[in-house]
Amino acid sequence: MSTQTMTEKPSEKAVTGRSSKVSLGRLWDTWGVTALLVLLLLCTPAIAPGFLEIENLQSVLRESAYVGIVAVGMTFAIASGAFDLSVGGQLALTSVVTLMAFNGGGTAAAVAAAITTGLLCGLVNAGLITRLRVPPFVATLGSLFVFRGIAYLLTQDGPQTLPYEHVDSPFAKIGSLNVAGLPVPFLIMVAVFAAGWVLMRRTAIGRRTLAYGSSPSAARFCGISDTRIRLFVFVLVGLTVGIAALTYITRVWTADGSAQDGFELKVIAAVVLGGTALKGGKGTLIGTFSAVFLVSVLNEVLVSQGVESAYQRIVLGCVLIVALTIDGLRTRFASPGSFRRALRPTS
Amino acid sequence: MTNTIKKVPLLVPLVLVMAILAVSTDTFLSTGNLENVLVAAAILAIPGIAMTFCLAMGEFDLSIGSTVSLAGVACCSALIAGQPLAFSLVVALGVGALIGLANGVVITKLGVTPFIATLATMVIVRGASLAYTDGHDQIVSSPGLKYLVAGRPLGVPMPIVLAVVLAALGWWTINRTRFGRWVCAIGSNREAARMSGLPVDRIRIAVYVLVGLSGGLWGLLISSQLQKGNGQLGLGFELDAITVVVLGGTALLGGRASIVGTVLGALMIETIRNGLNLLNTPPAYQRISVGLLLIAALALLALRRREKRGTKPNRVPARVQESAA
Repeated sequence: MSTQTMTEKPSEKAVTGRSSKVSLGRLWDTWGVTALLVLLLLCTPAIAPGFLEIENLQSVLRESAYVGIVAVGMTFAIASGAFDLSVGGQLALTSVVTLMAFNGGGTAAAVAAAITTGLLCGLVNAGLITRLRVPPFVATLGSLFVFRGIAYLLTQDGPQTLPYEHVDSPFAKIGSLNVAGLPVPFLIMVAVFAAGWVLMRRTAIGRRTLAYGSSPSAARFCGISDTRIRLFVFVLVGLTVGIAALTYITRVWTADGSAQDGFELKVIAAVVLGGTALKGGKGTLIGTFSAVFLVSVLNEVLVSQGVESAYQRIVLGCVLIVALTIDGLRTRFASPGSFRRALRPTS
Repeated sequence: MTNTIKKVPLLVPLVLVMAILAVSTDTFLSTGNLENVLVAAAILAIPGIAMTFCLAMGEFDLSIGSTVSLAGVACCSALIAGQPLAFSLVVALGVGALIGLANGVVITKLGVTPFIATLATMVIVRGASLAYTDGHDQIVSSPGLKYLVAGRPLGVPMPIVLAVVLAALGWWTINRTRFGRWVCAIGSNREAARMSGLPVDRIRIAVYVLVGLSGGLWGLLISSQLQKGNGQLGLGFELDAITVVVLGGTALLGGRASIVGTVLGALMIETIRNGLNLLNTPPAYQRISVGLLLIAALALLALRRREKRGTKPNRVPARVQESAA
């Protein structure tokens, strides 16, 4: 069996010219979702004429910002082969603390509190994973409960709110201001994506994260420290949550322990839809960026068509399955010898 | 004795928590309260047993919470439509099995990762349940359905009977049958299992159907408790089911399974919830404690693993020292 594949491998490569096939696959990996997004945007004028109005577009951009910002951190986490399931809890806790800080000390205190709380949450996760050696999935599942619980405790006497008299404060403006027609949350998101891209593609730690994701043991043998990768990734997720909380809270003005229930799944879905492999080792921020908008544009179009939220869920779930099916089939057929394997009944 | 403790590490903390509660409250040990805890634990253990198979295979099913909702809705609306009870129960279980089958087929035949496939079905099924009920409660008053939770064959509450039977069945399946071996084999190395000729896809589909069925049963129990079905039922239940299994010591990456552990995990969680209720702590603490419990359990496991690895090279000298002393 093994000798057979050994002899067949080169001939197959020569016959099919695999190199071009791979590059097409690579192109799909990075730009596939973007292509789908463009396609969807081209169709929208026909389906939902009101969609392309400036106000509507601005609101879509603003709504997507906090999911997108956290998705940057999550892309790193998944590329390193780990999930962070606690982002929903982190967002709730950070939002509550940020509002408390704002009501106590104004804008500067709020921004500082958001970033610090986010970083601390990330540090807690990293500590659980590297010091106590809890697997990331369970560590962040546990800390999801803990962070949400603390947020609930802090808001026992009612949710924290941003009082209306502060509508003109610089803090509240984060969520409402437009610069050159573009909402500030969207600009922040673009900046975070740009920084993330540089971090992933142009720095050693970014490369190491990808290397660690594709094979932790190989990376270890090359002298890459698990501890540092885990620390980097989970603190980065915390940092992005801190930034996202600023755009989120200045948008909704109120937060308690139940804020953004199910947020983690939304973020993970966007990252995976974008083409980042769940197994780790492959991350694409361009894909994540487009996937975030693909989901929110689709949502917006469905809303404008008067589709009920229950049916919206069904459509989104189906989109997720179709996108991942394409990906699954592609990887199944793209690796050498897999064509026969895929056709052969496995039982 | 020490062997039992090693095999079921949850036993000691469970007894400890129960002792603390017995001392610090005067109501914990009353028969009524103990029965409440046991019934709640039984209801949680039922999906836990099926989920144990799934985790032993190294996979998750996130859609079980939505299955609870849709199965409950299916049963209640069948009853409202005047169908006989038996038919309604079968419909609910059938809905669960179908969702499981869909999960299994999407995962094995379309090659979608379990995490994402079940995440998508979770969203889809929840949507279906919300769409079907249009956001309304489907209220029933069926003594037959109520019997599932409140019935007492031979004086034992029905959920406990169900859980004991299913746990025995689950234990037997995973430890004594070919199917159980196969599930663990897939969990420890799927490629190796495939190479040695196991019908991997069929086994995986079977496990997802099993989880779906248990989700259906869970939905029936919840609907029986509340005498209604709606689209909001079972929100976040998937995490409960997974937590129970992980607490019980089933390896997260598959290959090992402990049904006894899962049952104890369910007992542990419900004991703590009950205790915190008795001590009048705000519900927020319940979340925190479940989270901390999960982390602590896994940290202890990891610590023990590390100790074992650390002592291996110098085990002989340590023994020599011991005997010398």
